[in-house]
Amino acid sequence: MTGFQPGNPGRSGLDRLRGRALPKNHDARTISALAANPGCARRALLDAAGVDKQAVAAHVGYAAPFGQSQFAIARGNAFEAQVKEGGGAQLLTLLREHIDLDVSEVGYADLNDIGGNEQRELRHRHTVHVLTGADQPGRTLLDHPLLRLRVGGRPAYLEPDLIALRLDGTIHVIEIKSFAVIDGQADGSKVAAAAIQSAVYVRALRDLMAEAGADPTAVSHRTVLVAPKDFSSQPTATSLDVRKQLGVLDRQLSRIASIEDLLARYPRTLTFDLDPDDKDRPRRPKAELTAAIKQVTANYAPECLATCELCFLCREEAAGTTGALGKPVREDLGGIEYTAAALSLARGQLPTPERAEIAAQLLRAAQLREQVLGEEV
Amino acid sequence: MAETIEALERRIDELRVKVREAMLSGERALASAHRASLKQAEQAWEDAVAEAAAARSGPEAPASAHRPLPAGSLLPLREQVYEALSLLQVPAAPKLIATVHEAFFGSTFPTTRVTSLKRDEERSFRTAPFARPYYICAALSADYLSQSRGLLAISTWPLELRVIGSLSPRVDFLTEAIRVAEAIERIPEPPTAARRLLERFAASIPGASGSGGGARPAAVREAAAAELTVHADADAKARRAAAERARALDGAEQLFGTTVFREMAGKAAVE
Repeated sequence: MTGFQPGNPGRSGLDRLRGRALPKNHDARTISALAANPGCARRALLDAAGVDKQAVAAHVGYAAPFGQSQFAIARGNAFEAQVKEGGGAQLLTLLREHIDLDVSEVGYADLNDIGGNEQRELRHRHTVHVLTGADQPGRTLLDHPLLRLRVGGRPAYLEPDLIALRLDGTIHVIEIKSFAVIDGQADGSKVAAAAIQSAVYVRALRDLMAEAGADPTAVSHRTVLVAPKDFSSQPTATSLDVRKQLGVLDRQLSRIASIEDLLARYPRTLTFDLDPDDKDRPRRPKAELTAAIKQVTANYAPECLATCELCFLCREEAAGTTGALGKPVREDLGGIEYTAAALSLARGQLPTPERAEIAAQLLRAAQLREQVLGEEV
Repeated sequence: MAETIEALERRIDELRVKVREAMLSGERALASAHRASLKQAEQAWEDAVAEAAAARSGPEAPASAHRPLPAGSLLPLREQVYEALSLLQVPAAPKLIATVHEAFFGSTFPTTRVTSLKRDEERSFRTAPFARPYYICAALSADYLSQSRGLLAISTWPLELRVIGSLSPRVDFLTEAIRVAEAIERIPEPPTAARRLLERFAASIPGASGSGGGARPAAVREAAAAELTVHADADAKARRAAAERARALDGAEQLFGTTVFREMAGKAAVE
């Protein structure tokens, strides 16, 4: 995707939305979250503009206790350190089995710092050099490379746990997670989140290869998820095919790129500026900011609670709609927007002709419920 | 002997009072002088107690080195790290150093203390270079000769051993496995911690684990040596080249890594 040029009308429109605040940069989590709810115009617009959603949500009184728990972070770091110790000894065993690493492929490149220097730009340049340079023998495992993905014209720096570069030139993204895989099964939503996060890295790697004039298809869509096995700290690996997630991600990224179309639907006065004073305290009236937010339609789903800072505001707004109960409920009740409407149909209200079918189903469901539980709807 | 210990105990009590009084009256210099004498007295007390215990157990326990030591070694931390590193003979991370010491020397220590140890050693070296017979120092990354993250080494080792190329982490891992296996073979009844350590190595080396899950030292040694032949030549070549470049550095940089690149790149970023 291409970045916005200065003076681009979309760009200035987005700057207006953000107001005086500095743009919030994306990271792997926010980009994944973007792809998790592609139907949400509110999130697309605020993210494209780089609005600090946390600050906005707090100012209108819906602060979300957001972010990862300290304990989860500590556990994740400890597990990652464990599988990487001894030159990635535990990882090598798994990767030899899963992506057929040869016994000679054991090179380990630590890209956490470059000669003691942790600057992102430098680490990124070094990553590009290691991945695409010709004189790079014996580099198989790349520990914390730094990738870059342009989102809405601004670079977002991404740091995968590990990249495996095979002798034949194929590149695999390795994601290390600390949730347990018990008896070959893991929490579906967590695997889905890991898959989309890996897809973000695959996208960034392919862009990197293309920019360097190398072959982007060398980056495999088969990523490897490494997680603790059963109730032990022993790691196990699972292959993930992220082609579907890549598709969603590409669509979402191109949507941000063509954000002007979306922006054009709203009045030119729309802004999420907090009007901060010189001590960075927001002065804008809450009602005014709330009204601004509500001009842009959201697409609330319960999953938002895990991925979006504005979730409490949207949930409050969506109260009474079928969507607030989750996507399956909304799809089952196709065409009925409010739970109240569904309930009155179930109680026998005469439906409009286009709702006749779903009304009959609801009526039947209510009868069954009454028979089983003895309760009326 | 017993009297000296008691005399020392009295002296320690007196010194504690003096430190407290000096602190309360705000005389910092005096307090630190008293504190130094207190430390000396405490060390003398420790030594005297150890000596007394050795005299008591007498001639029937001449080979006390082979008996399991009580938890918490009396040796200073740097000596303990030195012992563990000397067994491994390659640069190692604090966690492994602590595990090896627990397995073969009967005591362990928190890894956080090991990290600060390296800083203390560097300070000591910079104030009085080569005043000690050895220093616990850093391993150097082969590309920039800067400190390799999280690895410790001993200053008397050849530079070739202390530089870390891209294959070195694996080569060193296999070497550690061989050293641990050899150490276990020397002990008639290896402690559980040592056997567990060997099993952990075996799990990550192809062909090292027995079918029953346990790890035989000889099998681990052979499997590690077999894989080592694949990487050894290329690794040795890269390390020789890097060590050659490292010889141009000054004494402190050879031991604790150069920061030239960090400073240079930092400046470039500012400009």
